[in-house]
Amino acid sequence: MDPLTLGMVVAICTILVLFSGVSVALGLLIVSTGFLMIFDGMRSLELLPEILFGKLDNFALLSIPMFIIMGSSIASTRAGADLYEALERWLTRVPGGLVISNLGACALFAAMSGSSPATCAAIGKMGIPEMRKRGYPDGVAAGSIAAGGTLGILIPPSVTMIVYGIATETSIGRLFLAGVIPGLLLVSLFMAWSLYSTWKSGNRELLATGSYTWKEKFEILPRVLPFLFIIVGVLYAMYGGVATPSETAAVGALLCLIIAMVIYKLWNPKDLWVVLRDSTKESVMILFIIAAAGVFSYMLSSLYITQSIANWIGTLDVNPWVLMGAVNVFLLIAGFFLPPVAVILMAAPILLPIITTAGFDPIWFAVVLTINMEIGLISPPVGLNLYVINGIAPDISLKTILTGSLPFVGCMVLAIFLLCVFPGLATWLPDAVMGKAL
Amino acid sequence: MAGQSSAVASHTGNNPFLRIVAALSTVAGWFSAAMIVSAVAITCQMIFIRFVLNGSTIWQTEAVIYLAIASTLIGLPYVQRLRGHVNVDLIPISLGPKARYVMALFTLSLSIIMVAIMLWYGYDFWHLAWERNWKSDTVWGVRLWIPYSALPIGFALFLLQLIADLTAVILKIDKPFGLEDA
Repeated sequence: MDPLTLGMVVAICTILVLFSGVSVALGLLIVSTGFLMIFDGMRSLELLPEILFGKLDNFALLSIPMFIIMGSSIASTRAGADLYEALERWLTRVPGGLVISNLGACALFAAMSGSSPATCAAIGKMGIPEMRKRGYPDGVAAGSIAAGGTLGILIPPSVTMIVYGIATETSIGRLFLAGVIPGLLLVSLFMAWSLYSTWKSGNRELLATGSYTWKEKFEILPRVLPFLFIIVGVLYAMYGGVATPSETAAVGALLCLIIAMVIYKLWNPKDLWVVLRDSTKESVMILFIIAAAGVFSYMLSSLYITQSIANWIGTLDVNPWVLMGAVNVFLLIAGFFLPPVAVILMAAPILLPIITTAGFDPIWFAVVLTINMEIGLISPPVGLNLYVINGIAPDISLKTILTGSLPFVGCMVLAIFLLCVFPGLATWLPDAVMGKAL
Repeated sequence: MAGQSSAVASHTGNNPFLRIVAALSTVAGWFSAAMIVSAVAITCQMIFIRFVLNGSTIWQTEAVIYLAIASTLIGLPYVQRLRGHVNVDLIPISLGPKARYVMALFTLSLSIIMVAIMLWYGYDFWHLAWERNWKSDTVWGVRLWIPYSALPIGFALFLLQLIADLTAVILKIDKPFGLEDA
């Protein structure tokens, strides 16, 4: 069988196996083992444990559990609510301050945790009830948080960017920086849409400004400042040339745990265990997928599938933008069904040669890919964030959450379009801070 | 939907086998969490020595990587018990009770075979490292059978947990895929 046909067979089998309900990591191992056994013989299986272990034998991977601990220790406290309240008190003179505060809190929280569902849950728990109490339409309240939460994987530190960096051997520091401006762009688009739709729904009095005394404004600061300090510290350590992402993440994790224990009195061993349990659960799950995807990509290249696909695309005489469009559609569809980490790990080794051959920048592509994954997080049928919101506010129907989120999907598509027209939005900051990529 | 189900552990009922396996997986989970926490602590210690005391570090980077690997492999059974390994359960959700049951038997059996294969070759790999006294080619020169032992231990416990899950579904103690009836 020629490698291209074989590639098609592998793709179909992978889809069938993954949709059977088997876990993603084991599914990848099953497909890889099956094909290796048939085409390379039983002896090739002897290599499996070595490849699996070797994939995990990487210091950069360590940043994943560390950033997860950092995020989940903050998420276990009232920090999300405090952040949101502080912003609300300070932004009270801005029209539509409440929804702006919520989205701003999502963006800031995203800068402390690398996870989208965590961001969604931390801000939404306080934000959604408050917005509804003040009369914001349910769709805006739920949709803005669902969308704001997706920023978790775009604004650094981002677990998916680390995974992309490892899968494609791209600098994680550069990837993190590349996410900053597009992240801010998305927040602005989200804010603009929320204000417009609240104004259009006739609730104009909601956009009126409220007032807080200076005392109220200042008394909340001590609870928020430590986190801002950590964000600045992490950024300084990483870009001041002090430490690698993994080292920075370790210090960040330790500091966040200490802050959670000291300021938020997370002393009870039971509560601490919940933080550790959730972090362990998430990092084991992600690292096992990474290891399994390593075996999967070994199988693809061992059977010459990766190389043949790249060659085949090279011979196709298509406009690079048509190609990019097709890649985007593929990513969107994959993102509808699979968690971002799995999509990145499976797609990156195949897509990256295609993307670079067509003359696109891998750092820029990482941002486009991430926004695609963000869309998947708020679209059915998987849409993890939709279910997180559904868990927080069970009385808002999934349909309302979904229709509320749809316009934000529009904002994301617009952002992808803007990134295609102005690639500098993603590439300027990393180049400015770290020098031009070679 | 896919994604992590909300940390609902699999049911064990009063079945002694299921309870023993659940206890083993939980202990493995504690070890896994402890190893991640030690990795954080050692990394911080390494940064302190390097940047504050201007000293050099020998064993830390390697130790931390092996701790993270061991934490992942030994954590596998615990995450399986918490149903934390993400899957796409779109089709299982849309199936009727009978078909869903058959599908669960099928996917669990497939997983068991896969993990058994990994255990078999993982043990082989570990045994080779032990027999030939392989050492890592760093200054520290750690004997590799120590970190490699996470492969057979992790996959053995993972295999036990998967067999327990299959048993629980067959004995109707647990629901297929942990899904409530529609």
